[in-house]
Amino acid sequence: MPIRYEGLTHIYQEGTPFSYLALDDVSLEIKEGAFTAIIGETGSGKTTLVQHLNALLLPSKGKLQVLDRLITADQKPKQLKSLRKQVGLVFQFPEYQLFEETILKDVCFGPKNFGATEEEARDMAVKMLKLVGLDESYLDQSPFELSGGQKRRVAIAGILAMDPQVLVLDEPTAGLDPQGAKEMMDLFVELNKTYHKTVLIVTHDMEHVLHSCDEVVVVAKGKIKKQCDVTTFFEDVELLKQLRIDPPAVIKMREALRERGFSLGKDMLSIEALAKAIQSEVQKHE
Amino acid sequence: MNNFTLGSYMPYDSLIHRLDPRAKIMGMIFFMVAIFIPAGYFPYIILGVVALVLLLIAHLKLRSVWKSMKPMLLMMVFLLVINLLVVRTGYVVVKLGDFAIYSDALAQTFYIAVRLVLMIMITTTLTATTKPLDLTLGIEDLLTPFKVLHVPAHEIAMMISIALRFIPTLIEETQRIMKAQASRGVDMEEGKLKEKIMAVLSLIVPLFVSAFQRAEDLANAMEARGYIPERKRTRYKQLKMAGRDWIMLGCSFLLMAVPILIAMGYLDPLRIGSLFLEGVGYAL
Repeated sequence: MPIRYEGLTHIYQEGTPFSYLALDDVSLEIKEGAFTAIIGETGSGKTTLVQHLNALLLPSKGKLQVLDRLITADQKPKQLKSLRKQVGLVFQFPEYQLFEETILKDVCFGPKNFGATEEEARDMAVKMLKLVGLDESYLDQSPFELSGGQKRRVAIAGILAMDPQVLVLDEPTAGLDPQGAKEMMDLFVELNKTYHKTVLIVTHDMEHVLHSCDEVVVVAKGKIKKQCDVTTFFEDVELLKQLRIDPPAVIKMREALRERGFSLGKDMLSIEALAKAIQSEVQKHE
Repeated sequence: MNNFTLGSYMPYDSLIHRLDPRAKIMGMIFFMVAIFIPAGYFPYIILGVVALVLLLIAHLKLRSVWKSMKPMLLMMVFLLVINLLVVRTGYVVVKLGDFAIYSDALAQTFYIAVRLVLMIMITTTLTATTKPLDLTLGIEDLLTPFKVLHVPAHEIAMMISIALRFIPTLIEETQRIMKAQASRGVDMEEGKLKEKIMAVLSLIVPLFVSAFQRAEDLANAMEARGYIPERKRTRYKQLKMAGRDWIMLGCSFLLMAVPILIAMGYLDPLRIGSLFLEGVGYAL
């Protein structure tokens, strides 16, 4: 079952002088098993959009189908726990949600809340900590002694240990060094490709969108501006300009070559592919 | 937590919003004094009418006052019970075997309730019509004369303004952490006692961690910009008393004077009433 938004509107603090329309009649479908990037300017409604997915926010109008659950505006959903187990949501700066004495306990907190036994939770925690790159020597350390990047890994492991089917990440690489960010993105790709999790990621980094994602959803002023696959997205140079997006280096290079008369297909999305194309073009002229 | 009414600014534009914060604070103090002077029921009628009119002018809804009063209901019930048990003057209203309810007990409770309601009305009017920062500027100015007595006016004002500044931030932070932990399966409403304790813990620990972090960052940022509390500082926003501010001050002073004069016996509410009626008679 996919994720389907149907005419969803969200108004913050409705009926007060502070009322604010964050999402305006959004209709959107996200395929199961896809790796989708959600992009848009700050304040465009990206976070509001994803926080509906595990019913942290409820629609003011419209409805939302998440897996086998239907969330509508007029009815308060019951048994949110089963939904929240299926949809794991990693917040912006998730390191701020750590609170336990040891890393192991903190990672076990989620699964135990969803009914896992002590042993199951522990096994899952060890496995997920390894996946995010923290070995067993960390288990009994306090999470507050770690570096910022390591804290973030622990927090993400805490969500992964719940074994959600859908993984939603709100700017998971913000504030990380480039190497750390890349490792993190590779981890999400692995979760998507090897473990077949549906991944949604809110991001500002176009390099990540280009190298890791399959689909792109562009949010602007509470509306869906465009939804397409990554190749098509980076082919639409006009739209990129209009959205004031600085394209990834490879795309810039491709466009510069095109301007100088190279005929390059839209699948030229890596340095290797570009180099090969240039090589064959040059050979043609020799 | 979005219905955090007590002490939250409502961005309307009204006469009361435009008044000088110092005048408003002084006005509130006069009003408070008037509330606490025991001069019978008559001043409360005037004060009640004034408070209602102020709410109306400020575009505030009675509902918001009611909301901030709700937490006090339990206290009022408690007071009523205590008064019924303790006060034994006046005439007997109801007699149940050995236990009697006296009229003064009811009157006492009624007065306390009225005072509380009036207090909430007037403080709500002040905080809902004055930006927190203006409020602290006003407090700082009003405290300046006490510098002679070594009252650190500026430091107090700075502390208040920092505290006020971080209330919304901390509320936001709380909501964010609550959402994050809800995503990890925390249920703040249901669950056994142990789970509830765990839920509160999972909220409080991160909140404290980030609050201390913020405090440290703020202190560093202030020091990095050379903040020294004792120095004379200039202000971007200069407060100026206009004519309407003086008029407001005068009116609120009169409002305080009436119950004082009544309490001291210089003024008879019945006489005021009859004079008022005569006046109406002449006018007609």
